[in-house]
Order: sequence, then structure tokens, then C-alpha cells
Amino acid sequence: MSGTDRGRPATGRVQRTRHPHNSRNFRNSRNPRLTRTEARNARAAAAFVLPFLALFLLCFVAPIGYAVHQSLHRTERTGPLGLGGQEREVFAGLANYAHALADDRFLTGFGRVLLFGVVQIPLMIALATALALLLESASARGIPFFRSAFFLPYGVPGVIASILWGFLYVPGISPLVEIAGSLGLHVDFLARDTVLWSIANIVTWQFTGYNMLVLISQLKAVPDELYEAARIDGANAWHLARHIKIPLIRPALVLTTVFSIIGTLQLFAEPMVLRPLAATIDSGFTPNLHAYSEAFVSNNQHIAAAEAVLLALVACVLSFGFLRLVGQRGDGSGR
Amino acid sequence: MSTGTYDSGRESGRGQGRGPGRLRRRALLGGAAAAAAGFTLAGCGDGADGDAAPQERKKGQKITLSFWSWVPGIDKPVDLWNSGHPEVQVEVETVSAVDGRQYAKMHAAVKAGNPPDLAQIEFPVVPGFLLDNALMDLSALGVARYKDRFVGWQWQQSVFGTGVYAVPQASGPMGLFLRQDLFDRWSIQFPQTWDEYEEAAKAVRRQGAWIETFAPANGNRFAGLAWQAGAKWYAAQGDTWTVHIDDEPTRKVADYWESLVRRKLVKTIPDRQNAWYKDIQTGAIPAWIGASWGDALLAGNAPGTKGKWRAAPLPQWRKGADAHANWGGSTTAIFAKTSYPKDALDFALWLNSDPKSIALLIDGGYGFPSAKKGYATADLDVHQDFFGGQAYSRVFADAGAHVDTSWQWGPGVDTLYQRLGDAFTEALGSGGSFRSVLRAVQAQTVSDLRGKGLKVESGG
Repeated sequence: MSGTDRGRPATGRVQRTRHPHNSRNFRNSRNPRLTRTEARNARAAAAFVLPFLALFLLCFVAPIGYAVHQSLHRTERTGPLGLGGQEREVFAGLANYAHALADDRFLTGFGRVLLFGVVQIPLMIALATALALLLESASARGIPFFRSAFFLPYGVPGVIASILWGFLYVPGISPLVEIAGSLGLHVDFLARDTVLWSIANIVTWQFTGYNMLVLISQLKAVPDELYEAARIDGANAWHLARHIKIPLIRPALVLTTVFSIIGTLQLFAEPMVLRPLAATIDSGFTPNLHAYSEAFVSNNQHIAAAEAVLLALVACVLSFGFLRLVGQRGDGSGR
Repeated sequence: MSTGTYDSGRESGRGQGRGPGRLRRRALLGGAAAAAAGFTLAGCGDGADGDAAPQERKKGQKITLSFWSWVPGIDKPVDLWNSGHPEVQVEVETVSAVDGRQYAKMHAAVKAGNPPDLAQIEFPVVPGFLLDNALMDLSALGVARYKDRFVGWQWQQSVFGTGVYAVPQASGPMGLFLRQDLFDRWSIQFPQTWDEYEEAAKAVRRQGAWIETFAPANGNRFAGLAWQAGAKWYAAQGDTWTVHIDDEPTRKVADYWESLVRRKLVKTIPDRQNAWYKDIQTGAIPAWIGASWGDALLAGNAPGTKGKWRAAPLPQWRKGADAHANWGGSTTAIFAKTSYPKDALDFALWLNSDPKSIALLIDGGYGFPSAKKGYATADLDVHQDFFGGQAYSRVFADAGAHVDTSWQWGPGVDTLYQRLGDAFTEALGSGGSFRSVLRAVQAQTVSDLRGKGLKVESGG
């Protein structure tokens, strides 16, 4: 399911060795007869790249450009009461950005997702790592079953997951609340100070299995000789995990963490779905929800565009910041 | 707002900086159909105003008009129209009315340049669409001559300046729904004033139940309660809007509910959601301040309580007064982009004033007809059994006749509701006063409207 984006298979680094200018050097230095082949190759390459490039421009570059354009303009209205008059777009400079940054609710939303990320991401990654190590350990049983079972929630779209969990959270409907109540405990999953963690629970439920799978695929790539050697040196299962496996899956850990950071900043579906059920989720609960509300409730597309750009910038800064922190360049960093 | 519905998920692992694209996608996954449609449309439509000038349908030409609505059973009258008008077919698309998502979708479609031909739009929201010149001024089509078919103040809800921007469909006079069996068992009188209502709230609480929930995000009902108390949130004078959300009547209402909330005499869960339905079914909440269209809602969601409910007039601030208000109420609006305004108007008029159509709409439970004729009040007692044989529609007919008709809506009401919802949510959590909510929302609304390029004054 492409339904969510808290992680993505690591494929990036294979391509490094094939630099396109190699061929140009080649052509310049060798005899010209090869150029025809080269030209044909270039044409073929162009034909292969073109569809991607066209879609990339249409679906990726153009929307971003449009968002930036929108964020720098505003609507001016004339006519009595603003009704029935003409409206036109005028350049607004950074006014929309200033407006967004002066909006407490928008900033609070940022604070909220950062708090969410600081708590939930380490928790989820740790859990995913633990599950991956368990399933890849020598004594594991029923591996295919457990692997599918843990991965299954990822196949449930975020909206559906939120609806399902919503039923488990809403008092009066939820069996969990009822059971807790019969034990004399009063739990409210949707209260002001719990609702964020209820959402964290949904996200963790959904994405732990996915991240686990990414980690497992990296674990599978570890050559068996290493384990053998370690065992001969007297390492037990814990030593293997601690000193061999975890260091070797570090790239996958970095990757899943970066995707989780981005996914966290873009939290939307869960609060959006739970909002009608919880009197504690406001329209700016997450920055993304705030941008949505600006665009589609208040019909202020320009401000929403500015907020979207800001959100993207923060995601950039945090992702690259994290990569810098762990001392590793990302795959897409333009080298 | 820009966009794209693409799925970048499969391309590669290079993910870091892709911000906006991802954001869009996330929003899409957010799955709200509204969001999805919005994002999709917005990408390609803007600026494509290749003016399809309104045209006259040629004789014998077959056209199809699109119509977005969420009235339950709207397809029945539409089918009836379609069978009688083979050349002007109307295609209904049911839109979600949860949390204003239908308007999100409409705003996006307007922005994208491909709105439907017609849509159901509630009274409060009409001015918001005018800001974008989204609605057709029907006065040019000679709509004035049909004015007398409809209740005066409801017609007036869509009149701004010299323009008429929609055909009224139904209103929602407010009233109080009560579980008579429980009130009898607990020996509680039906409250006639808000003071008595407070006493009733205490008495209900003593029985372990709650008389109501103050749903913080329900700006619509709060507006109705303010309306009843004599508030006038918007006024248009000359070319300037005046906003009066923080006025005396509204403060009175806010103080009243704050005191009920603080003394824990009412719940604060969202209304008309699972938890609330459960409470309504079990009698944990034995009353509801609702509106005429609430009969279908209760009968549909709490069938087990059949025969036990009654409808009563809204409690009054002054004993013996007859002040009432409206919650909800819709129009059928025609979008300015439609190619066939005349046919669309014919349909809108027929839908909302033809007796056969009204009968079908009443069956579906669309509210209180805006049409003056074509039905009897008793026709509206669709769920009479549910209300123990009470001719409950008379309660709402009476309320409708005493609605303060000078109330006017202004632009940006959906934003206003959101502001109110956010501020009440915060006040409930932090213990802030409801008066501070009004102060904040007043200031925000003035600045919101100025941000839309309007001349606005802040009334006290």
C-alpha cells in the first residue's frame, strides 16, 4: 500500500558509479566513430528519462513552484462589502509568511508535533529494531506469521486506522474504557493531555511493522560469516545484536528515522479523523491541519501556501540536521 | 494553493527535502474526500477562466446539471424532476456535511474553476461564497417574481445589495427535545426559562445523568443561542461590515453556559457523534437543544427510545417571552460558472416550492420548508410515533414564526465557527473565561475579514 509515508525502502545508493559525464570524457578522447553510437545511446536515454522528467516537472516541480508563487501573493477585493466586486491577485511579498508566523495556533501546532516526534519516533524505532532483531534471531519461531502480523497494520490506510482506533477511544463505545471503568479506573483517551499520545499510539501501531521490515531487509544483507566469526570469538546472542547487527543496520535506522521525522511533521489524517470525536483537537492541532483549515475552511489559499512552504522548510532543516548529526550524508543530497 | 495528487511513494528512497509534495500527499491520504477533490482540482484549474459565457439551452438540446447536496433522500425529488424533464437532467452528488467538508470541497472547486451547477449552501455560508464571486446573481434572471413563494426573512438571507444569490430551501427553527418518561420519573418540569433549565440541569445531574453537552466546536448552535438572546453578530452598512460578536446578549449566553460547564452541570463532549448518540440512546443525556430537523436525527439514531421524546419551545430569558432562533437552514445556490443558469434556476425553484417535491423532501427530513405553500404543518410530523403522538411540528412552526428576522450573516462564518470552536476548546482545557473567548474571536474575526480585503469595523 502506498497509503502512507513514514518510511520508504532504501534504494538510493546503488547508482553512484555510473556518472553520466564518464561517457562524455570517453567520447572526447576516443575516435569519433563511436559518437554515433553514443548519440543513439543518448537519444535512447532521453527517451527513457523523458516520461519521468515530464511527470516530475508536472507533478512535483510545478506544484512546488505554484505553492511558492501563491504564498507570495494575496487576493485584493473591491466592490461594496467585498461582494460581487472584482478580485485580483497582487504581490504580497512576505506578508503571508509574517501572518503565518504570527499565528499562535500554527506555532503551537509545530511545538506539538515536535514533542510528538521527540517521544514517538525513538519509541517506534526502538520497538521496530527490537522486533526485527527478535525475528532475525536464531531461535525465532513462526517468523513468516509474525512478520506479516506486525506488518499488516501498514496495509490499513491512515484514515481507516484512525476510525478503528476512534472506536476504541470514544467513551461510551470503547470496550477499553469500559473494561478500565469496571476495574475502577477512569481513562479518557481523548482528553486534553492524552489525545496526542492516543494519536502517537495509532501512528506507532501503523508504522512499527513497516520500519521493522526495512530493518529486517538490511539485516538479511549482513553476511553470515560475520556471525560465525563472532560466535567463534565467543559472542552470545546479545553481543551479536549489540556489536554486529545494530552497527550494521545503522543506515537503515537513519533512513527510517528521517522518514519518521518527515511523517511526524506532516501528521494530518489521524487528528483530522479524530477531531469530530474529540473536543480537544482544534483546527491547528498540527501544522498540516492548520494549513488545511486555512485553505479549505477559511478559503485563504495564499496563507495556506505560505504555511505549506514553511512546513517544508522545517522538514528540510530537521531532516538534514538529523543527517548531519549522525554524521552521514543523505542519498539525495545532490552529490 | 498548489497541489498534485501524485504518489511519489514508489520512486526512490530519496526523501528528505520533498516538503510540499509530501504534504499534499499526506493531505490526500488524509482521505477526506473533500480534501482529495480539492487538491486534485486546484492543481490544474486556476487561471483557466476561459469564460464559457452563460448560454441559452437550444430547443431539444439535452443537458445535465450537477447538484451537490446532503439532504437525506434528495435523490427522490431529483428523480421526479428528471422523469418530467428529459432534456434537463439533474445529477446529484452527495457531499459530506461533517465539519463543513462540503464547503471545503466547494471552495476548492470554485478556485479550480469547475464548481457544480447547483449546490446546497446553508444560510450562514452564502456570503462567504460571494466573496469569491462564486454565486450567480439571480436577479438578472428575473427571480424577483418568485419571491412571494417563500418565507420573507429566509428569502432575505440570500439578498445582498441588489443581488439575490440563492433560493431558500429550508430553515431550522430551534427547540428543546426532552425525554418525557425520564423527566416524569424524576419529577422534573419542562423548563420554560433558562433559569428553570439550570434548575432542571441540577435535578438531572442528581439522577446521575446530564441534561446537555456544551460541544465546544459547535459554533452553529452557539450562534443560534446568541441569536435568541438578541445578538446581531454582523451588520452591513454602506460598504463596511460591522462585527459584534462580543456584544451584551452573546456575553449573557456565554456566561450562562460557562457557569453550567464550571459547575459540571453539562458535559463537554462533541455532539452528534458516537459518544453523544450513545448517551442519547441510553438516557445518559435526556435532552437536546436542537432544531426542527432534529426529529429525523433522533428517530434515526435512538430508535430504542421511540415514543419517549417530546419537543418543547426553547427556554426563554424572560418568562412568557417568545424569542426564537434558527439553527441551520439551507438554500439552493447556482454557481456563476454554470452554462445554463435559466434551467438551473427552474430546477431550484421547482425543488423548493413544488408541492410534490416538498412532500418528498419532508419525507427525507430536510428541515422546515422555506416555501409558504404546498404543505401543511401536520405533514412535517413525519416521526409522530417517535414523539408519542405529539404534533411536534407545531412547536417548530411557532418558533419559526417568532425568529428574530433582523439577524444577518456575514462573510467568513465558517472561519468564525472554527475560531469559536478553537477558543472554546482552549477555554475548556485551560479554564479561561468564556468572555475571553468572545473577546478573542471578535478581534480575530475583524482581522480575518480585513485580511480578505474587506472594510470592517469592530462593534462593541
